[in-house]
Amino acid sequence: MAADRKRVAGPESSVAPLVEYPIDYQSWTPFTETRHDSHRQPEDLRPIYLKTGLISEANGSAYIELEKTKLTCGVYGPRPVKRAGQGFSDRGTLNCEIKFATFSCVKRRGTMRDAQEKELSQILSQGLTPAVRLELFPKSNVDIYITVLESDGWGSCIAAAFTVASVALAHAGIEMLDLVAGCSASYIPTSIPSSASTSESTSESSEGAGSITPQIFMDADLEEEKFQQGSIVLAYMPSLNQTTHVLQTGKAEGAIISQSVEHCVEACNKIFAVMNHALLESIDQK
Amino acid sequence: MPSLISPAERDYILKGIECNIRADGRQRPDYREVILETGVISQTSGSARVRLAGGTDVLVSVKADIGPVLVDPETGEGADKGQIICNVECAPSASQQFEGRGADELNNELTQMMTRFLSHNTTSLTSASSTTAPSSTTSHNSNGAGGINLSKLCIIPGEQCWILYVDALVLDYGGNLVDAVFMGTRAAIFDTRIPKTEVQDLGDGNFDFEVLDDAEDTEIVEGREDMPICVTLNKIGARHIVDASPLEELCTEAKLVVAVNRSGELCGLQKGQDGGIEPSLLLEMIQFGKTLGQTLIKQLDAKIKAEADADMVKRQNGQPVVKLGFFAQ
Repeated sequence: MAADRKRVAGPESSVAPLVEYPIDYQSWTPFTETRHDSHRQPEDLRPIYLKTGLISEANGSAYIELEKTKLTCGVYGPRPVKRAGQGFSDRGTLNCEIKFATFSCVKRRGTMRDAQEKELSQILSQGLTPAVRLELFPKSNVDIYITVLESDGWGSCIAAAFTVASVALAHAGIEMLDLVAGCSASYIPTSIPSSASTSESTSESSEGAGSITPQIFMDADLEEEKFQQGSIVLAYMPSLNQTTHVLQTGKAEGAIISQSVEHCVEACNKIFAVMNHALLESIDQK
Repeated sequence: MPSLISPAERDYILKGIECNIRADGRQRPDYREVILETGVISQTSGSARVRLAGGTDVLVSVKADIGPVLVDPETGEGADKGQIICNVECAPSASQQFEGRGADELNNELTQMMTRFLSHNTTSLTSASSTTAPSSTTSHNSNGAGGINLSKLCIIPGEQCWILYVDALVLDYGGNLVDAVFMGTRAAIFDTRIPKTEVQDLGDGNFDFEVLDDAEDTEIVEGREDMPICVTLNKIGARHIVDASPLEELCTEAKLVVAVNRSGELCGLQKGQDGGIEPSLLLEMIQFGKTLGQTLIKQLDAKIKAEADADMVKRQNGQPVVKLGFFAQ
């Protein structure tokens, strides 16, 4: 396999440099009473900074920041499909591509799109398509390119991707039925099973995590996600009251899922207000 | 298999589902007949073949291999765990739309779904293949969502472990691939036998191990009963159906895959296709999928057990255990 000649690899025995933590650094655990960011409650989202017009070349663009999670989005379209001989379609198509910048995560990511990013791209297309009026531009294609500049929590990245893509689509002037807001939540156990030391209870805890009910932490960041038992990402259209995407991983009881879906829907309504504000501001700028 | 559907056909299916009558006579919550057989491929550690009466045919194989442990550079986890690496491939012969690179997107989607529901490793974002480092949380959660006890697959902590390569091959497409793949995986894992290993302490922190070659004395995969299976619910109109045929899949507005294990815990949820679902309907569908999934697991386990018992009886009587072969009904 041809090596990447643009980059100089170190000798074979080299290891990645360690991040130096201060001497009194204590990594966060969920067994304290606070979240990683002590100013936040379990139901609080991180403050969102959302602005349009970042990319001058694009028809529409937006930038979102959830404290340390930063994403940009550029929308190009509607433009004609490259190979018109593919067959006539009376609906336009939405092509979404998400790419994590190589420096965005703790471990360096590859330059080419990997399988995970391809799947996320598909998920984003599926989550945004219900909102866009594709029947208004047949034989055309709308391209959405999302770049994750910094990732602080996997769930928050996907949720932010939905949000920033919707705002960019609206900024591009593409007619939509509704904006799609994205929100994530994590199920984190906040107490160690009290009977972990006795032998009879190891059989209890080995049945699965059903013995401890995890707490729902909205918009968890990377440190908090390390302790999660499961997570949920929800994309929701607030005006139409429809979820366009739901992705849940990890084990959870049915009751927790119902609760977290309700919390996420509430949070999406709040995010909707922020999205509207950003779009109104962009009109004032023009 | 057609990738287009006429408006008349679509309307027929839609109206039929409203009246709880599907095109093949089933009702909305009915599954097609499932033919399941384990131990069909001799070169594997475990295998299973699932056939749904509409034509879906999936072959799942599990190969146990020895390899180095995968340690998450961030958390340091994984040094005492084995790995499960999943891959799903749709054979180009399975359907006209799978020819050439047509199946790439579907393969990737199914592979990622399997990895997500069986290994619960989504919080670590890796740059390489579909494998992701184990990201277990506290010590009591070493099972992960897939239920399989990864710690038991470790041979020498920090060095060598068992890696289970789960490969699913879709031989024929008749709708509802996800459910068939997961059913096959559960059966294949049940059928999997891992050779025993003997670890010798050479002193100085060095270990060596030997794989015992006894075909009779093997280990099962621990935690296999807690493996989830999936129920795919397709929303068509205002109703939802399970086990969609290809034409019904083309009419689907939104698809919800619910992964549930035998205790009723949800191990995963993924929505697909280009439609929206109201939150109340979403919760209803989740509940429905959960109940159906648990029933399905019971029936599946009963069948697998019956087959294993019958094989055991044959072996004890000295009769050869003959599998039915690929064309048998």
